[in-house]
Amino acid sequence: MKKADLITGFVLLVLSGYVIQESWRMPSSATFGPGSGFLPFWLGVLMALLALILLFNAWRRPSDPKEGSPFPGGKPLLRVVAVMVGLGVYISLMEVLGFLLNTFLFVAYLMRAVERERLPMTALTAFLTTAGLYLIFQVLLGITLPRNMFGL
Amino acid sequence: MDIFSNLIMGFHVAFSPMNLWMCFVGVLIGTLIGVLPGIGPTTGVAILIPITFGMDATTAIITMCGVYYGAMYGGSTTSILLNVPGESSSVMTTLDGYQMAKKGRPGPALGMAALSSFIAGTFAVLMLTFLSPPLANYAVSFGPPEYFALTFMGLTLVTSLGGDSPLKGLISGVFGLLVACIGIDAQSAVARFTFGSMSLLDGVGFIGVAVGLFAAAEVLVNIEEPMLQIFTEAKLTIRSLLPNLQDWKDSFGALWRGSIIGFFVGVLPGAGATIASFMAYAVEKKVSKHPELFGTGVIEGVAAPEGANNAAAGGALVPLLTLGIPGSGTTAVMLGALMIHGLRPGPMLFSSRPDFVWGLIASMYIGNVMLIILNMPMIGLWVRLLKVPYKVLMPLIITISAVGVFATDNNIFDMWVMAVFGVIGYLMKKLDYPAAPAVLALVLGPMVEMSLRQSLTISHGNLSIFFTRPISGTLTVIAILSLFAPFLRILWKKYRAGKTAAV
Repeated sequence: MKKADLITGFVLLVLSGYVIQESWRMPSSATFGPGSGFLPFWLGVLMALLALILLFNAWRRPSDPKEGSPFPGGKPLLRVVAVMVGLGVYISLMEVLGFLLNTFLFVAYLMRAVERERLPMTALTAFLTTAGLYLIFQVLLGITLPRNMFGL
Repeated sequence: MDIFSNLIMGFHVAFSPMNLWMCFVGVLIGTLIGVLPGIGPTTGVAILIPITFGMDATTAIITMCGVYYGAMYGGSTTSILLNVPGESSSVMTTLDGYQMAKKGRPGPALGMAALSSFIAGTFAVLMLTFLSPPLANYAVSFGPPEYFALTFMGLTLVTSLGGDSPLKGLISGVFGLLVACIGIDAQSAVARFTFGSMSLLDGVGFIGVAVGLFAAAEVLVNIEEPMLQIFTEAKLTIRSLLPNLQDWKDSFGALWRGSIIGFFVGVLPGAGATIASFMAYAVEKKVSKHPELFGTGVIEGVAAPEGANNAAAGGALVPLLTLGIPGSGTTAVMLGALMIHGLRPGPMLFSSRPDFVWGLIASMYIGNVMLIILNMPMIGLWVRLLKVPYKVLMPLIITISAVGVFATDNNIFDMWVMAVFGVIGYLMKKLDYPAAPAVLALVLGPMVEMSLRQSLTISHGNLSIFFTRPISGTLTVIAILSLFAPFLRILWKKYRAGKTAAV
């Protein structure tokens, strides 16, 4: 965890630097009392302090060679990234492909590419998930889900 | 008495066909969520917010509460049969529950878990009924400094009591407050941290963040390794579920002690069901005549933590309804949902929307009864549901989350918020940062900022306003002390170690 804490501490320090700089530019006081920059500024200072404590603690701790990274490598990492990328593509294509086709393809992708499921099971799950969601949201709750240019 | 006439009015509201039906649906879905691996109560409630969106506020919260305690209950089934706690609050149930199942008595363990949940849950609702109105009455006189102190205390207690590392809890809380600052400042109309994006002017949508941090992040953690399928061969009939007279005698003390501990721990912001079940189990072991038998399958070891975690779920609603301060991740999500429905929980709620408050309280009595009627005959069915593989559930959880987030505002941007916070939540989980403080801070953020700025306006910038008024002074001192609690704990350990070494 030493390396992980050092990296997070650094990222948080950069983040708080950005927050402090941004809120410095906002009006720090209004006509009566503190203005919109007041709370973010002090939150930024607080975050910077906490990040420094995190860095200091991590730096002082002896590193443990037996302790691996908290993140997975190899196949598990690939699975996580595959789901993240899939979700990103799913959201991007929502208004292009329309809800029905897009959701069917996304579930099929998750089952086939991530879970390595056989084709019939993949098709069945994708179909049932899409139909179920359509039933809940469009039919029961009356929400207009995105459609593609063919009105599907 | 006033409370009784209010309660009767509440039952009037709760017994309307729609509310009764949704209470049933909520309890059913909640139990399902509790039984299924990989989704906890917070995730369940977060996913359901969008679905309850079109409902009337009272019906919506009745459904969510049903899910909340349904999931609390469902978690115990898997703990007992498979040694797999559905959520952290049922970890203690595995100790004796699973041992009982192994010794061939899964029935009484499951039955006692259901019955003690019912008894403790009802006890908590009774306490809620009588404790909330006076507390709300008292809190009506609160001004901005009191509110700031209260929210400040809620946040510090959650961060310091919540996880293993108070530092990481604090970072998570400050992060949540910063996210709450994004968008147009309501008091001076200045755009903050919007990165030039139009969509961010409105701020970051609460539902997107909550669903991302809980549901999406949980899926990402669970997807790393293909999840193992675990089965049980236990045959369960209703008759085998009933505990015998000796079981009742053994559990009686555990039941009422667990209920009381659970309720009061639940009322404290930040403590919640997990700590309540740990404490109840520890106390039971301490007062028992045969503490050495704990962990080998004694029924008290099931009754105490199960009662405590359900009583805590009821207790957690006291600060939520009377003060508007959620004490846990799940109640924070519920508070966010209520605000979307245009309700501002707090002392005024009791006088402005009595139909809502009392309808909810009455529905909790009904929900507890439904839970036991539903579960005793259906435990066998729930067990069979465990055979649904996670790989079928995973796409369903992701898509229902994404579409649900979209549905609240018909806005693709909210889906992106969910995806980004899903990744942030995944990183936080992996690096041991608790997500609850961030969500709590996001919900309370606007209130913290407004009360802070109003107080400082009243006092012309003098910070002493938070200390000189008696109520806000007490709360602020508690808040600051709780920040130092971890250090005190370390000092106490050192002191104890030194003392034993000297002897």
